[in-house]
Amino acid sequence: MVEFKDVSVTYSSSGVDALNNVNLKINDGDFAFVVGPSGAGKSTLIKLVLKEIDATSGTVLVNGFNLKKLRRGKIPALRRTIGVVFQDFRLIPTMTVYENVAFVLRVIDAPAKYIRSRVPYVISLVGLSKKAKCYPTELSGGEQQRVALARALVNDPKLIIADEPTGNIDPELSYEIVELLKGINECGTTILMVTHEHDLVRYFGGRIININKGSIAFDEVIGGSNESK
Amino acid sequence: MKASSAKYLVGQGFKGIWKNKMMTFASFCILLVSLLMVGISCLTAISLTRVIGGIEDQSEIVVIVKDGASDSDMAALEEKLHSIPNVNTVSLYTKEEAWQNMLKGMTEEEKDFFQYADDNPLPDTYKLTVKDIQIMNDTTTQIETFDFVESTQSPTAFADILINIRRIFSIVAFAVVLALVVVSLIIISNTTRASVFARRKEINIMKYVGATNSFIRIPFFIEGMIVGVAAAGCALLLTKFAYEGVYNIFNDTFGIWSILGMQNLYSFDDLLLPVSVSYLVAGALIGAVGTSISTGKHLRV
Repeated sequence: MVEFKDVSVTYSSSGVDALNNVNLKINDGDFAFVVGPSGAGKSTLIKLVLKEIDATSGTVLVNGFNLKKLRRGKIPALRRTIGVVFQDFRLIPTMTVYENVAFVLRVIDAPAKYIRSRVPYVISLVGLSKKAKCYPTELSGGEQQRVALARALVNDPKLIIADEPTGNIDPELSYEIVELLKGINECGTTILMVTHEHDLVRYFGGRIININKGSIAFDEVIGGSNESK
Repeated sequence: MKASSAKYLVGQGFKGIWKNKMMTFASFCILLVSLLMVGISCLTAISLTRVIGGIEDQSEIVVIVKDGASDSDMAALEEKLHSIPNVNTVSLYTKEEAWQNMLKGMTEEEKDFFQYADDNPLPDTYKLTVKDIQIMNDTTTQIETFDFVESTQSPTAFADILINIRRIFSIVAFAVVLALVVVSLIIISNTTRASVFARRKEINIMKYVGATNSFIRIPFFIEGMIVGVAAAGCALLLTKFAYEGVYNIFNDTFGIWSILGMQNLYSFDDLLLPVSVSYLVAGALIGAVGTSISTGKHLRV
């Protein structure tokens, strides 16, 4: 669950008000698209959820953590409940697909036996079993994003944040990635997907949160064009 | 932390070396050169101090005993000489020994001339070495006040030169070693920073998936330590070859260099333990701590 209560963010270095008095609640199991023009505050919203930055005022609650009271040493515990998928994939280039995914479980000190069974399973979910020994540079953009999805999924997080996950891949593959995210959501994981691609949003529909000039301009559930097909 | 995690982190440290070969090699070279510069400077300083010390130790005060001093007078004088705090050793050089040695250096004609001499004209003397050459002058003055002392001879002018050389050398050596340490630390710090900077994305990703700072630091720490130890090992070998080469030059032409007291140089075997420990500790510490400090900057995500 993600909840923003009267959250404002002002960047002290530039004096820019990135978010103004935002109130938002995303319940467990929700799938929400976050849309809006560049500079609207979408990235700030993601940074707040990951506690990369602190709110200037207001309260942010994420998966039971009150981020205002969360000490620096506890940030890893928060992040272990969140899976993150980035536009630029952010895979470790010196690790194979298997190692990139397994790495998350090693971070949480998971037993070796569990890692050996869980990682191949998750890699198979994203359809990359045959490429488990490949390095990221040997994969296409779509495949790299699927590895990033597997990495976000492997420790069974409560929430997955996908920050422009389709920004660097072919349009037809974008639908595939969102389909995968939808599938993950159906298993109970909350998904928060930031995107610029209105076609995708229109196609899939669901909860749309439109941020503009640091405020929530629109927060509604709309039907997708795929549902009418 | 589980044993499997510890094993994984140590393994990652070793893998990191291979995966980042170029930066690792750069760090290794910089560390090696820095250790060599500081190590050789320290060894040079130690050796030269030893050589100067050796020359100082050889500086003697010669005490000429008055003619006609009885055995008991001589014994009393010797006791008084021993009681001077700055006196290290006292050895008697009798007039007979002096006479025999003088005869050995004479030609047959000179010997024939002196064989008719009524009496041995040479005096009994004491040869003294001192503990502190800086107060040799005071010691000489004190000895001249003793009964049955005819006169003294001491290389006080030479002692003053040695004292000045040692003083200037100590200051210069300290300044050079200090400057090299500072320069080395700056270079090493920049190299490790560059090495870590090249992997900042990797660190960033680790932070996003919930890795603790120590989990991220340990492989870098181990990697830095291995590079440091390897550089220290190579530095030790190179230092050994260089030092032994110089040492052998001085030993081969012992006669010439002994004038400068070079026979007092330590052999590398004498220095092996302190040099090895210093290199290894410095290499491992600089490598490990330098790398993990450089990592810290990228952990604030």
